Amino acid sequence: MSRFVLILRLAARDFRRRRGEAAMLLVVIAAATTALTLGLVLRGVTTQPYEQTRQLTAGPDAVATAFPYHSGLPSNPTGLAKVSPIAQAPDVRASSGPFPVAFPVMTAHGHTDAVLAEGRSSSAALVDQPKLTQGSWVRPGGVVVERSFADALGIHVGDQVILNGRKFHVAGIAVTAALPTSGLGFLEASSRWPNPGLVWLSKAAARSMATRAQPLGYILDVKLAQPAEAESFANRYTASGNYRNNTGTPYVMPWQAISQQDGLLMRTDQKILLIGSWLLGLLAVGSLAILVGGRMAEQRRRVGLLKAVGATPSFVASVLLAEYLGIALAAAALGLFLGRLVAPLLTSPSTAMLGTAGAPQFTVETAAIVLLAAVIVAGLATVVPALRAARTSTVDALADSSSPPKRRSWLVTRSARLPVSMLLAVRVGARRPRRVLLNVLSIAVTVSGIAALLFARATIAASQFGSDTSGSANFNQFDVGFVSKTAREDQVLLIVSILLVALAAVNAVFITRATVQDSQHTSAIMRALGVEPGQLTAGLSVAQVLPAFAGALIGIPGGFALFTLANQGGGASQPPAWWLIAVVAATVIVIAGLTSIPASWGARRPVAEILQAEAS
Amino acid sequence: MTAIDTELAIRARDLRKEYGSAEGLVRAVNGVNIDIARGEALAIMGPSGCGKSTLLHLLGGLDRASGGELWMRDLRLDQMNEKQLAQLRRSEIGFVFQAFHLMDELTARENVELPVLLAGRPQSEARRRATELLGEVGLSDRADHLPSALSGGQRQRVAIARALANEPIVVLADEPTGNLDSAATLDVLELFQRIHTAGQTLVIVTHDERIAATADRLITMRDGAFVDETVLRGGTVGPLGAYLGLEG
Amino acid sequence: MKQEVILALLAKEPSHGYQLRGRLSQALGPLGDVLNGGQVYVTLSRLEKAGLVFSERTPGLPDRPDRRMFELTALGQERVSEWLTEVSWPKPDLAEFHLKLIAAASAGLADPMAIIDAQRRDLLRRLREAQLAAIAEPRGSDGSLLLEGIVLRLQADLRWLEACQASWTVRRSQS
Ligand SMILES: Nc1ncnc2c1ncn2[C@@H]1O[C@H](COP(=O)(O)OP(=O)(O)O)[C@@H](O)[C@H]1O
Ligand SMILES: [Mg+2]
Repeated sequence: MSRFVLILRLAARDFRRRRGEAAMLLVVIAAATTALTLGLVLRGVTTQPYEQTRQLTAGPDAVATAFPYHSGLPSNPTGLAKVSPIAQAPDVRASSGPFPVAFPVMTAHGHTDAVLAEGRSSSAALVDQPKLTQGSWVRPGGVVVERSFADALGIHVGDQVILNGRKFHVAGIAVTAALPTSGLGFLEASSRWPNPGLVWLSKAAARSMATRAQPLGYILDVKLAQPAEAESFANRYTASGNYRNNTGTPYVMPWQAISQQDGLLMRTDQKILLIGSWLLGLLAVGSLAILVGGRMAEQRRRVGLLKAVGATPSFVASVLLAEYLGIALAAAALGLFLGRLVAPLLTSPSTAMLGTAGAPQFTVETAAIVLLAAVIVAGLATVVPALRAARTSTVDALADSSSPPKRRSWLVTRSARLPVSMLLAVRVGARRPRRVLLNVLSIAVTVSGIAALLFARATIAASQFGSDTSGSANFNQFDVGFVSKTAREDQVLLIVSILLVALAAVNAVFITRATVQDSQHTSAIMRALGVEPGQLTAGLSVAQVLPAFAGALIGIPGGFALFTLANQGGGASQPPAWWLIAVVAATVIVIAGLTSIPASWGARRPVAEILQAEAS
Repeated sequence: MTAIDTELAIRARDLRKEYGSAEGLVRAVNGVNIDIARGEALAIMGPSGCGKSTLLHLLGGLDRASGGELWMRDLRLDQMNEKQLAQLRRSEIGFVFQAFHLMDELTARENVELPVLLAGRPQSEARRRATELLGEVGLSDRADHLPSALSGGQRQRVAIARALANEPIVVLADEPTGNLDSAATLDVLELFQRIHTAGQTLVIVTHDERIAATADRLITMRDGAFVDETVLRGGTVGPLGAYLGLEG
Repeated sequence: MKQEVILALLAKEPSHGYQLRGRLSQALGPLGDVLNGGQVYVTLSRLEKAGLVFSERTPGLPDRPDRRMFELTALGQERVSEWLTEVSWPKPDLAEFHLKLIAAASAGLADPMAIIDAQRRDLLRRLREAQLAAIAEPRGSDGSLLLEGIVLRLQADLRWLEACQASWTVRRSQS
């Protein structure tokens, strides 16, 4: 018992003595666990929710439509005649409809635009019965609004909407798997018919809205004996013979196309988030390595002291573990909390599918994984110095605060010809090559991330441009939601970039601080030998900027590779060259700025004091 | 103060250094006046904490005085900015520390080359100078060893060679034998004697009477001030053997 | 210098007086400078009278003390063995200086601190000479070993003076 108390007391004392270090360790582990939490939550979002909705709503395997291209009889009997026989096709196992569809102008919450209004009976359909997430099903005078559309316009149950001048109240909110949905399309593609939002209403109400100029259309939902064969079924019954070309009536769309169309909404930003979460995780590991590495060096002497007064290696390990475990668990809790807070910001836009249901999935499993990661970090931070403590002799550990720097004789020889600041930079770097490598990697990871995001941005912009050329007056379902998506992707890009840059900046400051601390003695000697503070600051700064520049150069192709990998053969478009150049330049400038602060602090500490302290 | 005597290497008038303020004020150097002639070897002794190191740091431009005037030849140190002080340390001052303060990752030769390179001179010259100096301190055969492979006495000799690298006006040594055993102390003592004979101005802070006694002049400090000054050079105490009662 | 030293130097082999002088000055190094030549012969003739050595004329050389060959007698041999087993050590006379300080202070005749200072300067100069002589001597020679002994004793004396100084500073401030 007293042993336990002693362990805790030693751990607590060490903390009190080095509050700054402890706080920094907390921040870094918290940042790492936040990144990890985000990554895990986002992975949950990535699993396609379309399947789930399809099951809940008895989603169709294929949807046959007969939409009018010309004015004519309001009831559009030719359209009906073309779509109805499909229900009798041999592969069809069950069907619902054909349901009449009108294209009234809807006014709600100050927005006015055409919508797709599908007439339904009050009883449940066998195929494609939209799943209510709120309120009740259609009834006379009451409409049901598709959820992502309702979310986009801010429509709630009980609100009033006006369809072709007639007032309706909103009876319910529902989701469907029969149409790719993106309510945002309604806003962005304003007055560009047809690119509608979706509402359900009574068949009578739908019929009453048909006019000669705007006749009815029909939708038939079918279940097939072989759902996997839906695409060939669609090609067989589509007028053009290929469902990818929807000129003519009827037009049949297989569920795979709907699913893909729906997935497209999420996929690009999910890719960005996924890349982002990998990168955040990598950077977090990098900062942990620096910090824990630095602390381990400091612990060497302390371990020696403990051993000198008779502590066993296992006791020493317990003390270290107690310290790190406390910090790691607190930081993990903070990381989980922050991750939970930030995740919805990243995932909220698409609420069309039940699976995502607005909030990202934050499970016990996520929490457990994050906590486990924190414990592993604490364990590693303990094990390495503990093992080293067991191995090295007490005397050595007492004598040395850190392992002696390695000698790189060719660097020493080469650098002799350089100007003083560069000479210092190279020699400071040569002292701790592993730290330089970490520095390069950290910057490379960050710049890779930013470059990947730029490639993503350029690729999206290019694909948007492409879709515009094919966007005609046709009801091109593949066009749905593209415009809105880039806006959302921009937002996701921005958030991920900010997180990356923030973590990378923290890393840069840590690395410089560690370097300054590490080279404090060298710096003092150099100054005693007559190096000017300015030269020293420049030297220490350059020691960070050179690796940063190298990292930035590696990061550009790295970003390209990363994006191509994530885009799974989707190709990548080249962003303007000056963007990439600007990223490299900005990296160098930012690192120079960030590192000059601790560097100049280190270069201006009184020399005499440092050398005195070292002597005693 | 008028133009300084050019025969002087260092001149200080009412030199002061204070740490802290009010209650906790420490007068580490409290009104020191000193003239050190060119080529003179001066020893400073005194109890721990009397301000010897602080004075040495002031003389070497490693620290700034709180008051007083300080010259090195015709250069006025107390009016210099940081950059000028750095340049002065680079070219006119050689430091030798108790803890040696060599760069661990550089060989003996590279350590000696360093000040020459820092002064912006070419590598070939640095190499030549280092080789020459290591020969003088008797470490030619250890030139390519790292400090960790050298004994304490050898390290200090490398440090002395480094201090001499730029032919400074003065070499300042702070307890240079404090970490050495008596054999190594003798080596260092001999070395100092040799560079003194060669005309180098030396200021040595020491606890070792043997080192102090070989200087031309010994100053004793207490509480930041000089309390005694003994000129050791010249004057004779009669034959050595007399001490043993060998005569008569 | 004790007679036994000369006696012992003869124990190796019969020697001429000048050989003895050479051996002596080699062992003493620069400290031997104070020995005057006659001293060895005076000692030798005393030893001869006491029956500890005998000497004979070397044929073909003039009969002068430095040309005679000296040799130990049986009694002399015995005396040398006795001397080598004696435990003796020079006694430093610190009491005299100590009492000088006390007397000066109590009688108010002189300032003990001034006495200490003067003594310290004297010791420092001696130390300086011994040390410089030690540096000039070849490493490992007999002379340098003896000089090292002198240097260390002087150093010890200086440290004791420091202690005296500290003590008398306190006494002065208390009175
Ligand atoms: N950086 C400092 N801050 C405050 N006091 C200091 C500092 N450096 C030295 N001192 C004080 O100044 C006095 C002289 O110190 P120092 O010159 O190191 O003495 P010495 O070298 O003679 O042992 C001491 O009392 C010491 O505590
Ligand atoms: Mg000191």
